[in-house]
Amino acid sequence: MGKFICVAAMILVGSVAVLTASGCGKKSLQSGGEAQSAQQGAMAKGGAGGGGSNGAQSGVGSNFPDTSLQAGGGSGEGLRGLDKNPSEERLGGGTLMAKADSAGSASRQLDDMRAEQAASSAAGLRDVYFGYDSWTISEEGRQALVRDADWLKANPSAAIKIEGHCDERGTTAYNLVLGEKRAKSVRNYLVELGVSANRLSVVSYGKERPFCAEHAESCYQQNRRGHLAVKAGK
Amino acid sequence: MTQTTFIGAILGGLLVLAGAVGILDSGAADVFLEATRPDFQKISLGVVGIQNTGGPDWLGGRIEEVLKKDVKRSLVFDLVDLPSLGIKVREVSNGATAIFKQAADNGVSLLVWGKASLKETGKEADATMEGFVYDSSSDEVVGGKRYAGSPSVLRLMAHRFADELVFRYTGEPGIARTKITYVAEQGSARELYVMDYDGYDPRQLTADGFLNLMPRWSPDRRFIVFTAYRNRNSQDIDVIELATGKRWTYVSYAGLNITPAFSPDGIFLAFASSYEGNSELYRLDTRTKSVQRLTVNPSGDLSPSWSPTGRELAFTSDRGGGPQIFLMSSDGTNVRRLTFEGDYNAAPAWSPRGNWIAYVCRTPRKEYKLCVMSPDGQKRMQLTTGPGVDDSPSWSPDGRHLVFSSTADGKSHIYMINADGKDLERLTFEGTHNSAPAWSPAS
Repeated sequence: MGKFICVAAMILVGSVAVLTASGCGKKSLQSGGEAQSAQQGAMAKGGAGGGGSNGAQSGVGSNFPDTSLQAGGGSGEGLRGLDKNPSEERLGGGTLMAKADSAGSASRQLDDMRAEQAASSAAGLRDVYFGYDSWTISEEGRQALVRDADWLKANPSAAIKIEGHCDERGTTAYNLVLGEKRAKSVRNYLVELGVSANRLSVVSYGKERPFCAEHAESCYQQNRRGHLAVKAGK
Repeated sequence: MTQTTFIGAILGGLLVLAGAVGILDSGAADVFLEATRPDFQKISLGVVGIQNTGGPDWLGGRIEEVLKKDVKRSLVFDLVDLPSLGIKVREVSNGATAIFKQAADNGVSLLVWGKASLKETGKEADATMEGFVYDSSSDEVVGGKRYAGSPSVLRLMAHRFADELVFRYTGEPGIARTKITYVAEQGSARELYVMDYDGYDPRQLTADGFLNLMPRWSPDRRFIVFTAYRNRNSQDIDVIELATGKRWTYVSYAGLNITPAFSPDGIFLAFASSYEGNSELYRLDTRTKSVQRLTVNPSGDLSPSWSPTGRELAFTSDRGGGPQIFLMSSDGTNVRRLTFEGDYNAAPAWSPRGNWIAYVCRTPRKEYKLCVMSPDGQKRMQLTTGPGVDDSPSWSPDGRHLVFSSTADGKSHIYMINADGKDLERLTFEGTHNSAPAWSPAS
């Protein structure tokens, strides 16, 4: 069945076949193996905030807390039972909840987002819209991507982030996978149109950053998209 | 209520505890004996009242309301309305034999009463609560509790007393002091929050300004693990220590890094990542930092949920076309498909008692609702109906309730429902979007 999907995807994406097929072929080979425990033994140096490195061996943090159940030990929250002559139990304010360190400061995020939006609307890039449950690029989508590819060729220093988005139906988790499939369909088609893959990054936002918030098909349509954004700065 | 039923209930509780610590090995089925058998008889309990012994007018009534709701939600007790039985609700002291006899004559097993005070002395404010229990089967005041603390722990006092009642009669720790972590919209960002199990006292945990998703508890309740979009372009799986706010990154592979879940012993972290091409399941050993790949498949595998023994994982996979629930051993072997009904089943959550797997099922009318299925695939129930997208089911530690998100009332909010589909209760009312709830373990 999985193979069928893979083949179907190749047909649907059309002449991207070369790229997709190599991916599928690799996976099929892997799935043939019995002992599938691909021990990664990854001891990355990157640590917190390492970001997306392409090396399969990096990407594991350098320092973890002890989360094992034994380590928790006596938190002092345990029940002590009813007592005929109860003595006073003094209750603390429960779990102290510090607001966690801001990984990337919120204001920097906002500044980056604004810069990205400005650059993207100046470029006039077109988005690609998808059907329900689908990551197949329509004829209309292909036409949009031809124009986007032209812009990319005319602006050889620009790098593009392709965001995969989904409508609100379905689960948060599965929509992240679906969003990534959509973003990768868009990337693959742009590559087929001659855009260098290393100018294109993909990210899935699933159903978490909708363009439109109504519970209606007109809105769902807006949210099932591959959105092209010009990367601002680094 | 007879003595034997009581003993039965206590025995049931002991068996549950015994199962949880592995004294009774339930074998491959991963099913524990439970006190929630269909023939489990709830214990009738009447709350006489919480007397106000100094403090604002609302004090006694507020505590009483919290306590009554806890008692009702425990599903261990049947909360009886004393006035409707002709039992006058007024002050009770430990020697109020008249009301004890009335209760016994009306078949009320337990009577509960107490006092509360709130005193302002200079800058310091001090609150107290005490509660006592009369048991008509032994015709005695079996005991009580006295609590003191700042006014901010008044609700906690009632919750703790309710949990003591559950503990006394089932041997289980109760759920009234548990918490729920979830995602809430904050401006254009989605941040992590933690609230009490009844929806009160929400507290913001992150302030990153973009997206934080799908939080889960460590089994000791001290940590929350989640997906963070570190710089809008890539995802990490991070963990936060609640007491200190300290934060670590587990993985930051290129591609998706989603749906983390701690093993029941807190040592392993199962998660999905797409860094090798498509979304696959991995298992990180937090002691050695080694990562083991669990699935090898050209389709999407995600959303691992551990069985209570840690021996198995339920997960979502679209290897058959649409997403379906699969099971496998936690080393990646022995994969088998669990769901066959419908073309979309996702987001599995294995019950802490082992006997059910809750998940999101798409109905023939294309509605996304909650379903449960037994791990052997023999029993299936749809728990919710009607409009709205239901998502992210998570079990209470006693296995009697589920928390989930739904757009049934328009915006996405958090709801609680019993494991049999009864007593739907909305928990959040503020904000533009609340989602991805996860129920904490008990303590």
